[in-house]
Amino acid sequence: MEPIRNYVNEEVKNQPPIVDVPKRVKKRKKKKTWVPGLLLLTPILLFVFGFFIVPMLYILYLSFIVTDDVGATDAVYSFQNYIQFFTDSYYLSSLWITVKISLYTVGLCLFLAYPVALTMAKSSPRVRGYIALLIASPLLVSIVVRNFGWYLLLLPNGTINQLLIDLGLITAPLELLFSEIGVIIGLSNAYLPFMILAIATSLYNIDPSLEKASAILGASPLRNFFSVTLPLSLPGIVSGCVLVFSLSMSSYVTPALMGGANVPMMPVVAYDQINNLLRWTFGSAISYVLLATTLITVIAVTRGFELSKFKEVFR
Amino acid sequence: MKYLGKIRLGVAVISIIYILIPLIVIIPASFTSANYPSFPAQGFSFQWYTMLLDRPEFIEALWNSVKFAVLAAFFSVLFGTLGALALAKYDIPGKSYITSILTAPLSVPQLVLGIALLIYFTPMMLSGTSTGFLIAHTVICIPYVIRLVLTGLSGFDYNLERAAAILGAGPATVFWKVTLPLIRPAIISGGLFAFLTSFDNVTISLFMVSSDMRTLPIEIFSQMQDSYNPLVASVSSVVIFISVILIVILEKLQGVGKAFGGSH
Repeated sequence: MEPIRNYVNEEVKNQPPIVDVPKRVKKRKKKKTWVPGLLLLTPILLFVFGFFIVPMLYILYLSFIVTDDVGATDAVYSFQNYIQFFTDSYYLSSLWITVKISLYTVGLCLFLAYPVALTMAKSSPRVRGYIALLIASPLLVSIVVRNFGWYLLLLPNGTINQLLIDLGLITAPLELLFSEIGVIIGLSNAYLPFMILAIATSLYNIDPSLEKASAILGASPLRNFFSVTLPLSLPGIVSGCVLVFSLSMSSYVTPALMGGANVPMMPVVAYDQINNLLRWTFGSAISYVLLATTLITVIAVTRGFELSKFKEVFR
Repeated sequence: MKYLGKIRLGVAVISIIYILIPLIVIIPASFTSANYPSFPAQGFSFQWYTMLLDRPEFIEALWNSVKFAVLAAFFSVLFGTLGALALAKYDIPGKSYITSILTAPLSVPQLVLGIALLIYFTPMMLSGTSTGFLIAHTVICIPYVIRLVLTGLSGFDYNLERAAAILGAGPATVFWKVTLPLIRPAIISGGLFAFLTSFDNVTISLFMVSSDMRTLPIEIFSQMQDSYNPLVASVSSVVIFISVILIVILEKLQGVGKAFGGSH
């Protein structure tokens, strides 16, 4: 076999090229094809540039200007807005509250999501579909409606307080609404589906024979979970946590309705600066502090895991 | 060891109830005969639904919500489908960068985008106008359309288009008779998703509405901040009803879980 193949190859190689068709056709084809594609893309690209990228860059530029009148000619470029933010204890504490509440939300979501994701991974595709429908559908109902449901449950004379009083567990109603607890409940309720779907996706990808192998080698179900399933689902856990964290950091409606003035999270403060006090340049700076804090945390956590002893799992 | 599975199942059931409970309590609460909202409801009556009909601001807000959601869905589907077709079919340089730019409005907080658009629109005389509102909503709908249509196109067999062209169909005929019917489910899901995104939106809308142009979620939001009467429960029930119909259609077409899974 060997010599024959060599012979054929040699023969083909030695033949003079008939025409160098492939190269030319490829080149011409490529040039021809992406021009109409670009035409189809033009409307959406112009739209997204004009109404997304430019406005975002415009407020970044504004955040470095100190003046209350945006159109004024005496605009001075400086870091004053950022300095004001980081030297005023009110804004610093607002940043801290935002991070703290977001972390609590992530923790609660993780605790509630993992069992659901595990159940989905162990179920048949049909049951999986039903669970996915149940948990994802509320995402398509307006957040104000979901918050109103929590109003009914958490009010001082609401369902939960009434139930606890009737059971004799408490004597006076708990301050559930307009408190940090209320905001954490509202946020975790809103973002729990994202955490479940993120973890479930990573659990689906685990090779079932790995768990079988560890069971055959004598690992107890608990050991199996902590040494095989949990580490292998880390990518889903990390992406779920990162997503819930960034959504919680920048959420406005839930803190405004469930926390009100008692829980001044960053988005509430930024909204107040822009819409009520009309301090646009300072509000722009708060927006970018919020974006930067979220981004830095997310990158640090993701990179941290990618460099940790679990780096193999993250590929 | 048997307990482990039971504990897992127990927490899972609690979690699912936790996700659904705020929606479950609203509908019975809207039928209360008392003059304050509560769950369980006191008595039974339709009074808060009939009263709704006497409140023109809610009817007007509902109409605005539907109108802008339809328009935002139309424009995002129009731009988004063309864009997704171009990205899937042509070998455009920097394709992955373009895709991430087009889906970027999803990863920027809506609050920040709302602030940016308000500040940007004011000198252009667009803030508080219907045009400004529509543009803002189209921006946040585009990523969903792009993603859903791109997913729909991922299994597309371009030989079908080629076959039609060989058999003598012009480019327009190929598009209308071959390409469009094949990706129609993806386009419809994209459109429904865009409709719901716009219909439900509060954060972006808060920066775009004016006193004489409000949407239903904004009306609910401000009612909740001022005083909470059972009217909010009946309005919310109407919103839930509309959402459920669209969710059923989406589930038939695409699978709601799939639309969110693999996202973000």
